[in-house]
Amino acid sequence: MSAIQVTSLSKAYGFYRIFEDVSFAIQPGTCFALFGPNGAGKTTLLRILATLQSPSEGQFTIFGQDGVDQRDAVRGILLFIAHGSHLYDELSATENLQFSLALRGQTPETSQLKRALDQTGIGAYGNLKIRQFSAGMKKRLSLAKAILAQPKLLLLDEPYNALDDGGVIITNQLIGDTMNRGGTVVMTTHDRNKAAHIATEGGILQAGQLQLLSPEQLQTHVLS
Amino acid sequence: MSFLSTIHWVVWKDLISEWRTRETISSMLFFALIVILVFSFSFAMDQDAARQLIAGIIWIAFTFTGIIGIGKSFTSELQNDCIESLQMSPVPKGAIYLGKVTANFLFMFAVEILLFPLFVIFFNLEVVEAIGMLFLVFFLATLGLSAVGTLFSALTVQIRAREVMLPVLLLPLAVPVMIAAVEATRGTLNGDPYEFYSQWLHLLVIFDIIFTVISFWLFEFILDA
Repeated sequence: MSAIQVTSLSKAYGFYRIFEDVSFAIQPGTCFALFGPNGAGKTTLLRILATLQSPSEGQFTIFGQDGVDQRDAVRGILLFIAHGSHLYDELSATENLQFSLALRGQTPETSQLKRALDQTGIGAYGNLKIRQFSAGMKKRLSLAKAILAQPKLLLLDEPYNALDDGGVIITNQLIGDTMNRGGTVVMTTHDRNKAAHIATEGGILQAGQLQLLSPEQLQTHVLS
Repeated sequence: MSFLSTIHWVVWKDLISEWRTRETISSMLFFALIVILVFSFSFAMDQDAARQLIAGIIWIAFTFTGIIGIGKSFTSELQNDCIESLQMSPVPKGAIYLGKVTANFLFMFAVEILLFPLFVIFFNLEVVEAIGMLFLVFFLATLGLSAVGTLFSALTVQIRAREVMLPVLLLPLAVPVMIAAVEATRGTLNGDPYEFYSQWLHLLVIFDIIFTVISFWLFEFILDA
């Protein structure tokens, strides 16, 4: 069973077609990097997979569950780290983790929260309110959420934005750990060099069409 | 995770956020104080007329104050796109709705408890014997307003003119609750026998049930829209 099976997916806003007839399959234990110019529809495709938007046509399944008809089941197995941090400014880092994981039906121990914060390098800031966090620290906190949530499907929209070198290493460690336990990662990125270290599959979304890359093409693409 | 646990976490999050900023409560109190002062000065010369109209004045203050609080309920979810994490949450959306209703109810009811003594002082009301019944009316009417208001807050949060659209959409639906609340409050303050205004209390209970059940059912579709 594919982790993600996308069949003839199209998205349009009125007469403006973002992408058309996109089909691909991603296997468990892989990391799929989605490249493409600005406005190509990478984030839109990711948001559709995250069940935040509906496709105009076509269908997709996530680990065998229909992405439209079985939306709640799909939501239980994915985690989307988006442009917006999904963090509440008035809550501390620890409280944000507690709340966002509670909404996933998880109640981690305090020691687990602390460990995840330490792993992402923000262990000293667990009691600090998010409004005092930098963009990079917010990103690291989102990574801590992913470490605790252990989703089967991890969707990352421009994961390397705002991160320093240490943050990039943590992100790639998270992606590696997700793949090692049979999970799947899909990320959009413009940063081909950083993606080169971790992506196992890839594609270029351009002019409304998805061009899948073979492993050789992927390496050629990221190194070009 | 249980349904009740989700409600608990949503209420916890809203209360703790509000406690740290006091943005909603302070704007609600400020608006209500202005309403009380304006009406108080308007009727300064005619206390009898004031007592005739006090039930309406109370519910104008409570309802519009409540709309301020309810409006902020979902706009706070727009910061950092937090509303998306509510949408993507695999827990029953009805639990999120009930958590939001509970938080809104607590904000409104707290403000009403703080404001009511000012009505008593400014309008020279005698409420000692009626206080229990009055708070029952406040409780039931506030629950109805919170139930329907929370739904419309979610409905209008993504609209650009949400501050305008929320009262425009909410008030027509809230009118039956307001009328029943005014009549029950008037009966209680006048010292009428319970039988004289009990039908308004029953109406409030019916509205509370209808609004909560329908809003609970619709919330999932509205949040995902």
